[in-house]
Amino acid sequence: MHALYGVGIVVLSGLGLLFAAGIIIGEATDQWFLGGALIGALLITYSFIILLLRKMGMIGPRKAER
Amino acid sequence: MTAPKIVGFICDWSIDIGPLLSGNRLRDLPHVYIIRVPCSGFVRPGWLEDALNQGADGVFVTGCPYGDCLNREGNFLMRDRVDQLQRRLQRRRIDPARMAMLAHGLHDRTEFLADVQAFSDRLSEIATARTTPAPSAEPAPAPGGSS
Amino acid sequence: MSMTAAPPNRYGRLMTSLLRVTLRLDTFINKIYPTDFNPLYYTGGLSNLFLFVLVLSGIFLFFYYEASLGVAFESVRYISQDVPYGGIIRGVHRYAADGFIVGILLHLFRNWFTDRYLFSRDNPWISGMFLLLFGGFIGFTGYQLVWDERAQLLTSMFIAMLRSIPAVGEPLARVFLGGEGIGEGTLVRILFLHIVPASTLYVMLWWHYLRLRHPKIWPPGVWVLFVLGIVFLLAGVIPAISGQPATPSARPTSFPLDVFFMLPFWLLNWLSPGVVVFLSVVLFAAGLAVPYFSRRETVADMGVRHAGVAQVIDGNCTGCELCYFDCPYNAIIMVPSPGPGLSKAAANRTLLAVVLESRCVECGICIGACPFEALELPKFMERDVQAHITNAVQPTQA
Repeated sequence: MHALYGVGIVVLSGLGLLFAAGIIIGEATDQWFLGGALIGALLITYSFIILLLRKMGMIGPRKAER
Repeated sequence: MTAPKIVGFICDWSIDIGPLLSGNRLRDLPHVYIIRVPCSGFVRPGWLEDALNQGADGVFVTGCPYGDCLNREGNFLMRDRVDQLQRRLQRRRIDPARMAMLAHGLHDRTEFLADVQAFSDRLSEIATARTTPAPSAEPAPAPGGSS
Repeated sequence: MSMTAAPPNRYGRLMTSLLRVTLRLDTFINKIYPTDFNPLYYTGGLSNLFLFVLVLSGIFLFFYYEASLGVAFESVRYISQDVPYGGIIRGVHRYAADGFIVGILLHLFRNWFTDRYLFSRDNPWISGMFLLLFGGFIGFTGYQLVWDERAQLLTSMFIAMLRSIPAVGEPLARVFLGGEGIGEGTLVRILFLHIVPASTLYVMLWWHYLRLRHPKIWPPGVWVLFVLGIVFLLAGVIPAISGQPATPSARPTSFPLDVFFMLPFWLLNWLSPGVVVFLSVVLFAAGLAVPYFSRRETVADMGVRHAGVAQVIDGNCTGCELCYFDCPYNAIIMVPSPGPGLSKAAANRTLLAVVLESRCVECGICIGACPFEALELPKFMERDVQAHITNAVQPTQA
């Protein structure tokens, strides 16, 4: 399970890199809608990376909730 | 080996405890006595201590899932109070595993029962460890002990 | 009496089923997300986040928008197509508005079905109904500002609804339009009716938070990222577009429906404007009545959850302020002590705790906070708990 989460994080990080590259391309070619959509996709990817990190136990709840 | 005496304070908004009870005790785990309270934050740490002093082997409080307390903060406050109580009672050599804070929602009956069962098993282990003498290489342990 | 014991009447049974269904949804989400990430526990915060996005994107749009009949449509086109990322910000504004209404409705239904409006929690409920009303109205004026054919049709529908109100309807319609018909003053008024109610939302939010300590006004980080991401993604993939520009000779008869803001107008397909206005008023009044008429359980059924408002035992209170800090509803205040307490610990006190009974929801958290036994719930006191504990540690038979 742990390994699966780790794989997921790596895959999502790679996707994130792709999206970031796409944002730059969109900015360079003045395709604003592409850039904007990829900003959105990147933020969603980040949110899932944080979810997976939490499920792995690498970031934790506040002490009060353990 | 008698079952450990357990007292549980259950928030009446959290888990639907009515169907699990027979009288004041859990039908499936009759050594667990349930006291229903209006919020997990209602419980005074003094009551947990009293229960332990009067002979209970373990005591727990159950509130709503963290983030969903009907009264918004009760379960967080109770979690802090149980933490503080565990630290304070450790000075009197009371094992912190004898106090627990659980968080369950309306439909979490099986998880709740599993948690209470695990708590009960842990208490049995502690009780067994306390009464079993240490291996022969060491001198006989001093009588009496914690709590 | 368990929390979901079958109540005697059909209404109670219906509300209890809704409670069970609402909390059943949580179990599915809690399988994927840890409970402190469950978005259903933060519906208010999510709505707040959408509102924040709306305000920021709205300020951007405000810099470019021109509220004049001939120019408004063109200014919106300019934002969407000529300003860098203007189309994205316009789309973000559009989708955040939908998200805001979805968030508020989730918040409304969850807090209704899980009994979170009882006792003094009617204050957030009433202010919340007004927030919903204003939010819906702001969305409607927002769609009008685009001044395409949809906006034109919406405007005439709204005027028809206003005119159907007896006595005040006709003057209200004239105030809204700035004259007898749509004229140069109309869009300026609509812009005013978009921005000023949006600012008033923050005043009403202050009212909404009044009796709550530490209101959850921001969702967990995971959801901040997700929400921002989804509005940007939608804005890029499904750009917000205007219809045909509104002209005096155009007679539009249909438009694409935004279900979150335009339901009353959809009803005009079958009902007359007067009936729609009447139904809306009735619905709003019914909403305001919920905290007072929507009880799911009788007092007896609630048992220990309705144990009476907290009472301060004056003789024991030492003025330590722990109950004051723990009460989630700001129902306890500290006052200068009129005299010394009775117990030794209370003899030198300077402060005394006082429970504001109109704010107390009988949760008992203050009882748990007090180290000096200076607070009690009248129907479940210290001695009742002690009796239970003594009962509990009796040796059990067999």
